[in-house]
Amino acid sequence: MSDQIADARADGRQTLTEAEGKRLLADAGVAVPSFEECASADAAVEAAEAIGFPVVVKVSSPAVTHKSEWADGAGVAVGLDSPAAVADAATRIFEAAAERGVDAEVLVEQAKDVDAGTEVIVGGLRDPSFGPVVLTGLGGVFTEVFEDTSHRLAPVDRREARAAIEELQTARLLEGYRGSDPVDVDALAAVVEAVGDLVTEHSIAELDVNPVLATADGAVALDALVVLEDGA
Amino acid sequence: MFDPTAVAVVGASQTEGKVGYEAMVNAAAFDGPAYPVNPSGSGTMFGEPFVDSVADVDDAVDLALLCLPGPAVPEVLDECGAAGVGAAVIYASGFAEAGEEGEQLQATVVERANEHEIALLGPNTSGFVVPETSLLCSFASGVDEIPTGNTAVVAQSGGVALVLAFQTRRQGRGVSATVGLGNRANVGFVEAIEYFDGHEGTDAIVLHVEGTDDGRALLETCRNVDTPVVAYKVGQSDVGEFAASHTGALTGDHALYEAGFAQYGVPTVDATDHLLDAAAALGDSPTPDGPNVGVVTAQAGPGIIITDRIQRAGGVLPELTAETRDRVGEILPGITYADNPVDTGRPMPAFGEVVTAVAEDDNVDIVLVYELFEQALGFPVEELDGLAERVDKPVLFATEGIEADLAEDRAALEEAGVPVFETPERAAQAAAVLARYARFHAAGVDAEVSADV
Repeated sequence: MSDQIADARADGRQTLTEAEGKRLLADAGVAVPSFEECASADAAVEAAEAIGFPVVVKVSSPAVTHKSEWADGAGVAVGLDSPAAVADAATRIFEAAAERGVDAEVLVEQAKDVDAGTEVIVGGLRDPSFGPVVLTGLGGVFTEVFEDTSHRLAPVDRREARAAIEELQTARLLEGYRGSDPVDVDALAAVVEAVGDLVTEHSIAELDVNPVLATADGAVALDALVVLEDGA
Repeated sequence: MFDPTAVAVVGASQTEGKVGYEAMVNAAAFDGPAYPVNPSGSGTMFGEPFVDSVADVDDAVDLALLCLPGPAVPEVLDECGAAGVGAAVIYASGFAEAGEEGEQLQATVVERANEHEIALLGPNTSGFVVPETSLLCSFASGVDEIPTGNTAVVAQSGGVALVLAFQTRRQGRGVSATVGLGNRANVGFVEAIEYFDGHEGTDAIVLHVEGTDDGRALLETCRNVDTPVVAYKVGQSDVGEFAASHTGALTGDHALYEAGFAQYGVPTVDATDHLLDAAAALGDSPTPDGPNVGVVTAQAGPGIIITDRIQRAGGVLPELTAETRDRVGEILPGITYADNPVDTGRPMPAFGEVVTAVAEDDNVDIVLVYELFEQALGFPVEELDGLAERVDKPVLFATEGIEADLAEDRAALEEAGVPVFETPERAAQAAAVLARYARFHAAGVDAEVSADV
C-alpha cells in the first residue's frame, strides 16, 4: 500500500487530499506542478517564493472535496503573482476554515498556463463487472457534452494507452490545430498507463485526474481526486 | 451437456402444448435414447415407458431436461445427483430474474448442482440444440429444421438463441449448436465458449450479450481461445451501475463492453444478421493477415456501396500493385476501372480471372467479389473453388438475382466453402469484421497471450 493510501486509511478517510493524490501520481511517475502544504499564511508566502510566482493557492483538507465551490469561492485562488496576494488568499482560506470548524491547510502550487496546452481528462475506476478500467477524453465540452471518451480495461501498456487516446474523435486537436504545437501524446499515454496501474494495484474505487495539461513538452496532472474502496 | 449418450425428460407429458410434451417430442429426435420421467405419467412416449424418477431409468442418463416448475427443481437435482447425471437444463423461469424469492431459489439450485457436480443450463432458457446429433434440448417448435453448420451460437437469451438459429437456416448456413444461457446458474459464457473452442464441428463462435457480472472473465476467455469469436452487445441505451460514479457518469456500461471486446480481440457488430455474416466470413476463411480489402465488382453502384461501408467500418481499400493493374488490363483491355475496386462493368467470362488476379495481389489481405447473377454466364465457380486456401486469404462473394435461377451456382460456391452474402452492405460488413479481426490480432493480442504463457 502506498504511504498516501495508508495515511488515509489510518485516518479512517476514503478520500485522499489533493496533495496526497498528487504524491501518489508523482510516485507513479506522473509529472505534477511543484507544491507545498502550509499551515500558516507566512509559510504560504515562503513556499510561493521558493516555488516562484505566479502560484495557485487552494484549501487543503480531507473535509473539502470540491475546492472551487467551497466558502463562496475562497477555496481556490489562481494567478497570484505577489507575496501579498498569496498572504491574502491563504488568510481567507484559514478564516473560512475556522468559521466552518474545518481543520485545513493551504496548498501552494506552481501556476501552469492552461492556454499553453490542451486539457485532458484521465480517469480510473473499479467497475463491478470489468474490474480496473481507465478512460480518457479531452476536457470540458468534449467529454461532458459530446461524450467523446475512450475506455480500456486496466492495466494497459503504452501502446494500448496511446491507441485509446488516438481513437478519440477529438484526437486531431492533440496533433496541432490552427497553428498550435502537437502535444506529446506519448507523455499523455504514460499518464493513462500510470492511472491504469494505480487502479489495478491499489484499493482505489475512483481516480480522477482532471485536468491533465498536455503540451508539446509533456503532460502535467493539475488536479487529482482519489476515492478509495469501501473497507479494504 | 452438449454431447450426452442418453437423455431424460423430467416432467415429460402427453398433453400437447405443455413444455414437457414439446421437450419430449424434440428430445425423441436425438440419435441416442430419450426417456420420459414423470411420476404421474403412464404408458410410453416414443416407445419408452414412463418412470417415476431419473434413478429408475435403466440406462446411464447423463443429461436431464427439467420441465418442472422452479420449486420442484432442487429435489429433482438431488435425484439426478444420486443417479450420476452430469448435466441438466432448467427451462422454468421465476429464478434470479424474478426478485428475492427467485434469487434464493436459484442460489439453492446452484448449491445442489455444485454439490452433485451437475452442469446447469438456465434457468429461464429455451435450452440448446445440436443439429448434427439431432440433440434438440428445447421446447420450441421447428428446432428439428435447424441445419448443421459450423457456427456455435451462445446467446444470453434463449429467445435470441432461437432467433439466430432460425436465421442461419434461412441463410442456408446452420449452426454447430445454439445455446440459450438464460440466468447462467453455473454454465455461463466462459464455460460455453471454452467448450465450443474445443468442439470439432465449430469454426466460429458468436455471442449475444446483454450484460454479465464478470465481464473481465468473459473477455479473458475470448482472448485465450483459438476459435474466432464475434460479439453482439445489446443495450447501447442502457446505463449501468458504472454510470453512477462521478467519472462513470461520462459513460455507460456499453462503452466498456465495446472497448473491452476490441481490446481482447473480439470484433463486435450491432445486428443479428451481421453477427451470423461475420461468423460465416471468419469460420469459413483463412485468417486474414491485415485489414486491406480488394474489391472486384461487375457493377459500379454496388461496388461503391461496398467501398463506402468497408471504409466506414474499419477496413482499408489499398491500391493494387502495378503488376496486378497490368494483369487486369491485359485480361480486360479498356476495363472500366482497374484499381481498387476493380469494376468490370458487367459480368463477363473473364470475371473469374480478374478475381484471381486481385486475390494474388500482395497488397490485398481480404477479397470481396460482387456480381449480379447473369444466366448466360453463371458464377465463376471454378476459379473461386479453392482460391481462398491457395492464396491463404478470405474470399467473400455477394450477389443478387432470382433465387431459383442462381440456386445451383450458389450451392456450388457454398459447397466450395465460399461465404455468400445477399446484400452489398452485409458482405461489406462481413469484410470489415475480417479487417478488424486482422487488426486486433496483428496488433499483438495473440502476442500478449503467448507472452503470458
